[in-house]
Amino acid sequence: MSGNLESSAPLETEEERLPAIAPVLPPGAPSDLDLMRAIQAEDPEGLSQLYDRYNGIVKALILRVIHNETEADDLLQEIFMEIWNQAKNFSAHKGKPLGWMVTLARRRAIDGLRKKQAYARAEERLQSQTEQQPDAWVHNATEVEIALGDTRVLIREVIDSLPPAQQEAIELAFFRGMSQREIAANTNTPLGTVKTRLELGLKKIYDGLKELRDEL
Amino acid sequence: MSFDEFQNRSRLYVIGALEPEELDEFEGARKTFGQKAEAFIRECYTLHEAFALSLRPAKSSAALKNRLMAMVREKKER
Repeated sequence: MSGNLESSAPLETEEERLPAIAPVLPPGAPSDLDLMRAIQAEDPEGLSQLYDRYNGIVKALILRVIHNETEADDLLQEIFMEIWNQAKNFSAHKGKPLGWMVTLARRRAIDGLRKKQAYARAEERLQSQTEQQPDAWVHNATEVEIALGDTRVLIREVIDSLPPAQQEAIELAFFRGMSQREIAANTNTPLGTVKTRLELGLKKIYDGLKELRDEL
Repeated sequence: MSFDEFQNRSRLYVIGALEPEELDEFEGARKTFGQKAEAFIRECYTLHEAFALSLRPAKSSAALKNRLMAMVREKKER
């Protein structure tokens, strides 16, 4: 890398004004924004470090959508290539790097799912994939992964506090890209009930995250 | 639309769960509330981060990263 990531001064004040949920990084580690700036400057080491930090999260998100290991790996590579190619379009004024990456990854994964019309197959694989995933995650954790783990536990507590029906509606909307009508049809639930579940569930998570930010 | 209702709709909007017939009304309210609306929508995108961070990270092979970095370096050198 250009060698200036660790010593760089704070680059943006805008990011600091936005809510922060991202894990606390080890002392001296470049921020996500530092890494995005490096990528924008076409420094491959910036992408390398961003990949090391978030490939597990991005792949988990893809797997949650498409439930296929090989396709997830292909998509993971495509998404990080897109991050490299589209980095110039990232603006810290519009949000945080992680949010930008997740939004991009989710869109690509849902597009892939729709193109393949694989809803039925994904449904069948969901259960076994969910059961296999904890065992697949066995290796020495890095400091960043430990920090991610702490964050995950806290966020899961917020999500798990929701009634199952609200969790299901949000799961179908966010990870499957289903519309309210599709969720209603898929769960045999009146459209108005689906809307209410989504609104209440998302508000509870949003409010819970605000409290979480105060604690972190 | 009140701002409370706009906030509810914004959370649906960022996860792509607004129905087509709700989008026009939402965009109208977005214009009406201006900067306040844009700031709130930006905040709502933290939901994306939270949903991703709620997942147990999945492992990838070192070969995948090597392929990616080779592609990046090749593209840079072009």
